[in-house]
Amino acid sequence: MPKNNQNFCGSPEHGVSRRGFLGAATAASAATFAADMTVLDALKNPVLAGELKKQQKHVIVLWLAGGASQLETWDPKPGRPTGGPFRPIQTSVSGIEISELLPKMAARMGDTAIIRSLNTRIGDHGGGSRLMSLGRRPDPVVNLPEMGAVVARELGRADSQVPDFVTFYSSTEGRGNAVGMPGFLGARYAPMFLTENSVPNNLRAQKTITEVDHQDRAALRQLLAQRFSRGRNSGIVASHNSAYQRVRGLMASEKLFDVAQEPAAVRATYGPTQFGEQCLIARRLIEAGVPFVKVGRAWWDSHGQNFETHQELCADLDHSMATLLDDLKQRGLLENTLVLTMAEFGRTPNINGSLGRDHFANAWSVSLSGCGIKGGSVYGKTDENGNTVADGQIDAPDLFATIYKALGIDHEKHYQIGARPIPLVDFGAKVVKEVLA
Amino acid sequence: MPTCCFKSSFICAALLLSLVVTQAGLAADVPAADRPIHEVIDHFVDGRIERLNVESAKQADDLTFVRRVTLDLAGRIPTTAEVRGYVDSSDGEKKDSTIDRLLASPDFAYHQRNELDAVLMLGMGTTNEWRQYLLEAVRENRPWKQMFREMMLGREDDPTHKTALSFLKVRAGSVDDMTNDSSRIFFGVAINCAKCHDHPLVLDWQQDHYFGFTSFFSRTYLTKKGTLAEKHGGEVKFKTTEGKEKQAKFMFLTGATIEEPPVERSADQRKKDDAEVKLQMKDEKAPAPKAPTFSPRSEFVKLAMADSDAPFLARSIINRTWARLMGQGLVHPLDQMHSENPPSHPKLLDWLTRDLLSHNYDLRRLVRGIVLSNAYARSSRWEGEGEPPLAELFAVAIVRPLTPEQYALSLHVATSNPENFPLDVSSEDWAKRRESMENGARGFASKIERPSEHFLVSVDEALLFSNNEQIERDFLRDSGDRLIGSLKTIENRQQMIETAFWAVNSRPPAAEEAAAMDAYLSARKERADEALKQLVWSMITGPELRFNY
Repeated sequence: MPKNNQNFCGSPEHGVSRRGFLGAATAASAATFAADMTVLDALKNPVLAGELKKQQKHVIVLWLAGGASQLETWDPKPGRPTGGPFRPIQTSVSGIEISELLPKMAARMGDTAIIRSLNTRIGDHGGGSRLMSLGRRPDPVVNLPEMGAVVARELGRADSQVPDFVTFYSSTEGRGNAVGMPGFLGARYAPMFLTENSVPNNLRAQKTITEVDHQDRAALRQLLAQRFSRGRNSGIVASHNSAYQRVRGLMASEKLFDVAQEPAAVRATYGPTQFGEQCLIARRLIEAGVPFVKVGRAWWDSHGQNFETHQELCADLDHSMATLLDDLKQRGLLENTLVLTMAEFGRTPNINGSLGRDHFANAWSVSLSGCGIKGGSVYGKTDENGNTVADGQIDAPDLFATIYKALGIDHEKHYQIGARPIPLVDFGAKVVKEVLA
Repeated sequence: MPTCCFKSSFICAALLLSLVVTQAGLAADVPAADRPIHEVIDHFVDGRIERLNVESAKQADDLTFVRRVTLDLAGRIPTTAEVRGYVDSSDGEKKDSTIDRLLASPDFAYHQRNELDAVLMLGMGTTNEWRQYLLEAVRENRPWKQMFREMMLGREDDPTHKTALSFLKVRAGSVDDMTNDSSRIFFGVAINCAKCHDHPLVLDWQQDHYFGFTSFFSRTYLTKKGTLAEKHGGEVKFKTTEGKEKQAKFMFLTGATIEEPPVERSADQRKKDDAEVKLQMKDEKAPAPKAPTFSPRSEFVKLAMADSDAPFLARSIINRTWARLMGQGLVHPLDQMHSENPPSHPKLLDWLTRDLLSHNYDLRRLVRGIVLSNAYARSSRWEGEGEPPLAELFAVAIVRPLTPEQYALSLHVATSNPENFPLDVSSEDWAKRRESMENGARGFASKIERPSEHFLVSVDEALLFSNNEQIERDFLRDSGDRLIGSLKTIENRQQMIETAFWAVNSRPPAAEEAAAMDAYLSARKERADEALKQLVWSMITGPELRFNY
């Protein structure tokens, strides 16, 4: 990873922050992390929730598990040997063309930006998935948090009555690539994971207990807990109590996962697919104040039959995404909700013997819509066959810096792990200002 | 490297220097080597508290102490009989004798095993054989130094040693993992930070270190059979930050290096060696590989064991043990043992290091010394003016979350019929009982997050306890061997509430607690069974059972 090394190792600004932490270490190294843990402060004093948290910004990631082809989505190469059978279509923004497999999105380019110049280099599912979740290479010593956990931490409220990070796991994705990674932020910021069905585990009380008793025994517990907490002003003890205090609210949020609560007309627009329903649930969650929702759609890994695969999956993506954007917009939620399409990587421009495309991380695309985004913009360019980035090459850290910037999160901020500052994104990551409003 | 760890890049440069300095300083105003460990701990910890003119918490009461020390030495809460026995005893030596009883009990070995397993395996690839290896080692109080040696150099033809090699085997797929984890776990040094950094003063030196450390492991590989082998040759080369290619030396953290004796290996021989490695990695039936004449890993162990003025192995295990019992390391965080991150009590760490070295890396002795100290026995409740003193002063006990194993075992003890745990059980019988408790607790333990440095309790845990049927099944049944079953046989309600409190919270209830419980039950006379379950639920989900305070 030579590029990154040069970006941050031994740079002058580095020297400045170094003095900062030396000072911190000689003072109370014990307190350094806690001092930055705004959540702990918030637990002790909920009134302190930051400005940012009040603005209620949100993220929905549409995770195209397996790796969608950029050529059949955001970066078509018509008339080239790599182009495949599908044609590009003109979008609602003049000068931007995308694949004809996304006609509904083409009609809605006004709220969406495309980045066509990602070179992330990691071409295996596990590695690519970790990279695009963490926004950087894993660290051998510190467990880094994924984007959902960071957003939950930065935009969620400690005393929130709704979950702050929800992940829909789609069964074909492969469990190993879909585990939550709250990293050093801890289980407090782990995703609420939806596995077999669309309702999270343990949200519903056992039938053996009445509503009133469920509530009253929690109150009895609380009474004992309060006695214990006197004189023990500890963040960990506070987190235990706050976890139990959030239970009732989270149980009440069960209805958010129930699409039957939506009018039939709304359900009909999203359609009957699982992905469509989960997009609808994502909207319901966002509306109720959940900061981060990830919806997975699998399985795009088209080593064979690439074009049939994309014909089917793009139709689902196109319809669900367009409906979601319309719905968010209609409810006035889009300006505060960032909708992303991402994957582990893209697919090779070269079409293999099985009419498939293989893993390809050197020149691929993502889309960003809504909150903080300059709609109708395109950043970066691949060469005529799509084999390399011709202009505006970026890596995952740059993309993450851009995403955080769009949300108003300071991407240069550090978490302090003992003596070691861990920035939200790698040092030297550059925001792609061109796609920001 | 993804993120910066600039501070840590100072590790290597300054470390030797700092160790030499503190060692030299040991002679002056330092307690004699033959003073008991706990007295020395209090000498330094109290000394710092007094110098800073800070108030400290009073000693914890008997109820709190016996709970704390049982959790720390036996890995579970005490039984009602154990708590009552302790508080009712008027023996002036009861603290010492209880500690010694616990250290000699089968429980201690199991708990120490669980702790070492968690530290060494970090939750990956633990097996029954490996856990058995640790258990046997802990039972005979095998010196830490020897265990380290077994984990690094165990012989495949020796069943004990073979299992010890699991430490490396689960990491053998990645030289970086072997390097980073060995450095971090055994020496308290996050060496990876030196992989790509420029040191502001001594250019390249860190990289020499990182790759030097790496080179001890770079020839180690796993055969298809699952044995650990070492290649006959192979160098680690790296690019310096100036872009020059450089060959790494075999270099330990102290800067000490080993030269490999020059061997002439013809191109033909090299080819054969490579083919042999390929065969070993592919063919399960290949005959055992021949050991190389020069083994970098053996050299590594020699350098690590050479008790220089930088006894990393000893300092790191002392720091980890201290952190486990006191809630925070003398050096914090545990893998940042370097001069830019000095210990809170440097002379104490030096003294303890000398003690561990002169007592053959006896961990049980170290544990005993720490739990006998007054510093260990302070109350965790801050009743003084203003904010409590800094954690690193150890003036107030730090509230610690239970490990998953401690929590699962404590839930089991708490929700069992207290009469199931009489005091007069033979050690053999108790060992059997403990073994089955261990096995029974593992399933539930796997559902609980292992606390790490920035641990916060997750809402998943609270949801699990609030709504999962397993809680009712495992902890709230009313059969005769369970707490609820026994409570049902007690007619006097006050007595019943007291029994529940002793069992779960290791103490009698306060008046207001007993009154609240009583009121809860009175309001639910028509569904008394459910009410009793709810009452016990409200206790087992409380912070008092969740933490070691």
